[in-house]
Amino acid sequence: MRRVGIGLLVALVLGAALVAATARSSATAGTSGAKVDNITIWVGWSAAELKAFKGVVAEYDSKHSDVTVKVVGGINDDKITAAIRSGKVPDVVSSFTSANVGSYCNSGAWIDLKPFLSKDKIDVNMFPKTSQYYTQYKGKRCALPLLADVYGFYYNKAMFKAAGLTSPPKTMSQLTSYAKKLTKKNSDGSIKVAGYNPFLGFYAGNAPDLSAYAPLFGAKYVDGSGKSVISKDPAWSKMLTWQKSLVDWYGYKKLQKFNAGAADEFSASHAFEIGKLAMMIDGEWRVAFIGREHPSLDYGTAPAPVDDAHPELYGAGYVNGTIIGIPKGVKHKDQAWALVKYLTTDSHALAIFSNGVRNVPTTKASLTSPDIKPDAHFKTFLKIFANPKSTTTPITAAGNAYGSLIQAFAVKWQAGHAGDLAKGLQKLDKQIDAQLKQAQAGGVP
Amino acid sequence: MASSAAATAQPLDRTRARRRAAWRRRRLVLLLMAPWLIGFSAFFGYPLVMSVYLSFTHYDLLSSPKWIGTANYRYLFTQDPQVGEAVKNTLWIIAVMVPLQVVFAFGVALMLARARRGVGFFRTIFYLPALAPPVAATLAFVYILNPATGPVNVLLKHLGIDGPLWFQSPSWSKPSLVLLGLWGVGNIMIIFLAAILDVPRHLYESAELDGAGPLQRLRWVTLPTISPVILFSVVIGVIAGLQYFTQAYVAANVASGQASQAGDQTVNNLGYPEASTLFYPVELYQHGFRYFNMGYASAMSVLLLVVAFTITVLIIRNSRRWVHYVGAAK
Amino acid sequence: MSTASVPVPTALTRRKPPASVRRRRFLMAVANHSMLIVAAVVFLAPFGFIALTALMTNGQALSSHLWPNPFRWQNFVDVFHQAPIFRWALNTMIYACLATLGVVVSSIPVAYALSRIRWRGRNLAFGLVLIALMLPPVVSVVPLYVMWAKLGLVGGLGPLIIPNWFGDAFSIFLLRQFFMTIPEEYLDAARVDGCGELRILATVVLRLAKPAIAAVALFSFLYTFNDFFLPLLYTRENPSRWVLQIGLSEFRSLHQVQWNLTMAATLLVMAPVIIVFFLAQKAFVEGVTLTGVKG
Repeated sequence: MRRVGIGLLVALVLGAALVAATARSSATAGTSGAKVDNITIWVGWSAAELKAFKGVVAEYDSKHSDVTVKVVGGINDDKITAAIRSGKVPDVVSSFTSANVGSYCNSGAWIDLKPFLSKDKIDVNMFPKTSQYYTQYKGKRCALPLLADVYGFYYNKAMFKAAGLTSPPKTMSQLTSYAKKLTKKNSDGSIKVAGYNPFLGFYAGNAPDLSAYAPLFGAKYVDGSGKSVISKDPAWSKMLTWQKSLVDWYGYKKLQKFNAGAADEFSASHAFEIGKLAMMIDGEWRVAFIGREHPSLDYGTAPAPVDDAHPELYGAGYVNGTIIGIPKGVKHKDQAWALVKYLTTDSHALAIFSNGVRNVPTTKASLTSPDIKPDAHFKTFLKIFANPKSTTTPITAAGNAYGSLIQAFAVKWQAGHAGDLAKGLQKLDKQIDAQLKQAQAGGVP
Repeated sequence: MASSAAATAQPLDRTRARRRAAWRRRRLVLLLMAPWLIGFSAFFGYPLVMSVYLSFTHYDLLSSPKWIGTANYRYLFTQDPQVGEAVKNTLWIIAVMVPLQVVFAFGVALMLARARRGVGFFRTIFYLPALAPPVAATLAFVYILNPATGPVNVLLKHLGIDGPLWFQSPSWSKPSLVLLGLWGVGNIMIIFLAAILDVPRHLYESAELDGAGPLQRLRWVTLPTISPVILFSVVIGVIAGLQYFTQAYVAANVASGQASQAGDQTVNNLGYPEASTLFYPVELYQHGFRYFNMGYASAMSVLLLVVAFTITVLIIRNSRRWVHYVGAAK
Repeated sequence: MSTASVPVPTALTRRKPPASVRRRRFLMAVANHSMLIVAAVVFLAPFGFIALTALMTNGQALSSHLWPNPFRWQNFVDVFHQAPIFRWALNTMIYACLATLGVVVSSIPVAYALSRIRWRGRNLAFGLVLIALMLPPVVSVVPLYVMWAKLGLVGGLGPLIIPNWFGDAFSIFLLRQFFMTIPEEYLDAARVDGCGELRILATVVLRLAKPAIAAVALFSFLYTFNDFFLPLLYTRENPSRWVLQIGLSEFRSLHQVQWNLTMAATLLVMAPVIIVFFLAQKAFVEGVTLTGVKG
């Protein structure tokens, strides 16, 4: 009788211990392995792009017998943050969201790379200015650029010809009138082909924080003292008014249904690639996607159209980049740094990878490297990248949390739920300032 | 310990034996209760205390907690631009979904109770959706309610109706979640069915003799008799409503899919569209496990705890009546 | 369906009613059944749409056609090539089985102590169980996450499984309610035979409480199989520990909204629970009823 009780207890403890043991052994498994070091790198790329990246890493692997690099793709910032917090980190991490560099550097989640840079005598001026900017926060450099993304304009040449249009639009009013000309409707009134789809949230060019549009209107986020000026810079209300008027021309609900019926932007049935969209703003990577998925598509690339009142902005665009760094709590710091250094500064590696995914290489030397395969479309984006008026979003201690606030407002605005524009933007400014203050004070976001 | 009965039979050592028996009994109880005692302290008591402590700190899991007084609570009650929305949405889902689920489940159960044939067959069909994993069910509903190509809007179009935007529209997203909730109402339905079939026949007969029609019998016999079960399902529903997360999280992620770049965080999907599916637990998840503001998330937990505790106390206070009722009916 | 154990109510009175009343009752029954059939079709429709979409081509899934043309059975093969479904299923099984075992083993003695043994503080303890049952687990996730992170267990299944080995409030509650209904005579008979409490628990009570234990095990299995929140918190960044629910929710972004494959995966994830249900339908229905009526 007592045996039963003891047996029960033993079973209980054993069971719990077993579970704990298996969990723990899996936790420590990564750190063992004495001679050949395994280092893990997390990247956001997936599918064909991931393959290209693995190719670059394989080359590194073959040159360095002391380490084996394991690549994990499909990573996003949520996963990176969670891993750092849980204390079980990969050796190298990279993120598509350069705007988050502020929170990574500020919180110490990514370690400062300065000691490594000075030890290896690397001058950060080997990177273009914009790329230098989005890889640090207030002088604390916790990241390096690993290729950049540049947003430009894509248009379907066959549809332009059919509509009697000869060259891509250079101003927003041209874009609007072209969009109306190129739009085709079904018999029931729904949209069959959208000339230009300005719906915030539809594909990357319409990122709902308006990041791709800001440089085209010359919109400023903050003043010299770091205060949000969205309600004071008239460019923002101009941008939002233009965007809403085009949404309203289609009809909000009709556009929503068009979006719901469109395929995902990274699938082979992308609306532009299958002729359901005549023009769009998108990143340079699309060149590679089209080349892989629809090589016969007759399309052109150009800088995106700009505000009618500021023709001097033509040629500029939104730039951001993939950033790479070393997370806090990493075990093989030196090996991790060696890999980061190779990926971000080696001209050959950058060029090979750039050829594979058609992202913009991020050292001054590699931009002109003979290894870069020439391509007429890709050249458009290299030019936008080099344009001095091209900008990226501001780096703040709160990461890109301000982007979430802009998004919350802009999405309400396009749905017609935001009420008065001027008042709404003033409130937005206040929210952004409050949020930033909290983040700097180490408080809540 | 088998001899406790024998021990009391010997009058001489009665007190000692009794004391020993009492001690044994205490040891036995302790042994039996051990797992729960450990579990309750480690996974319930400790987190509660920690929650309260952390709610007064700034803690990002990277450096040790920093005491910041009531700053988290001040931000929570006065500045947070989203928490008000989250509270409103949570109240909405509790106020709309719970009563609808109860009424709907009761209606279906009533039809089942009156059916003469195929009760088992129908009961199986109505119960099945309750088994579907919430993630799978939500994915399916987002697809079925796709505004452009989903079967529901396609069928509506054949009827000449321009279907709504469902999960893409802030005014339809919560009703869409309610539809999903009604589909999975099987558990309550089965409980109701059992309770309705348990109502003693003679109550109906005497009501009929008094000249009560079917509606009156429903009102004066069925409803009062099964009221404890109704109350029970309301309680369960409210508690579930306070932690409504999975469906909202998955629906927002999938419905906003058009824009989201794989791994792009500039697009904040939680609450899509227009924060209409941002429920309190979703907001808590966002602060705690996306931004890792453990201090602020703890303050949110404490607020939820106070609300949930108030509700629990109210229910337990009022429960005496209906718990007793069940005992009597059994 | 064969287990229509629920008694079907017959006409309310035994005297033969007049013809007009009988006709009215017949019409009522017809109306009632028609409504049931309509409701049944509506309840089944989502399953139908899932199954049909799972057999479509990708292009067709995003069109307004509802019937697959051609039927693409290949989807169910492709799903396994596209995603490590077996890995996810294995993790789910580890989680669900170990957690269920823990819940059953640890909750039975507690429920017994709370129902069949008298001791001071029992009511207080039971009150605490009720409170634990009523409070949303969401309130304690933050400090628990911190705790597991300090122990280095985040990223694995440990934080999901271990708490289940220390008693689960719902199961304790359900089992206690059932143990209370066991007639004292059975226990007394065993006591007279010289059995100790543990022996009584292990033999008499466990034998009599089989339906309740089965229900507890079923609920626990179902709950952990369907669980999304905790696996999301603890294994999000470690795909090798993903369970089916996490995998399914990420499936779409892994595969760029191939709705046909997503629905095929959805169907596969739904299948095990539905199969378990048909195998153990009686235990299920009795268990659910138990929660309500005894509550």
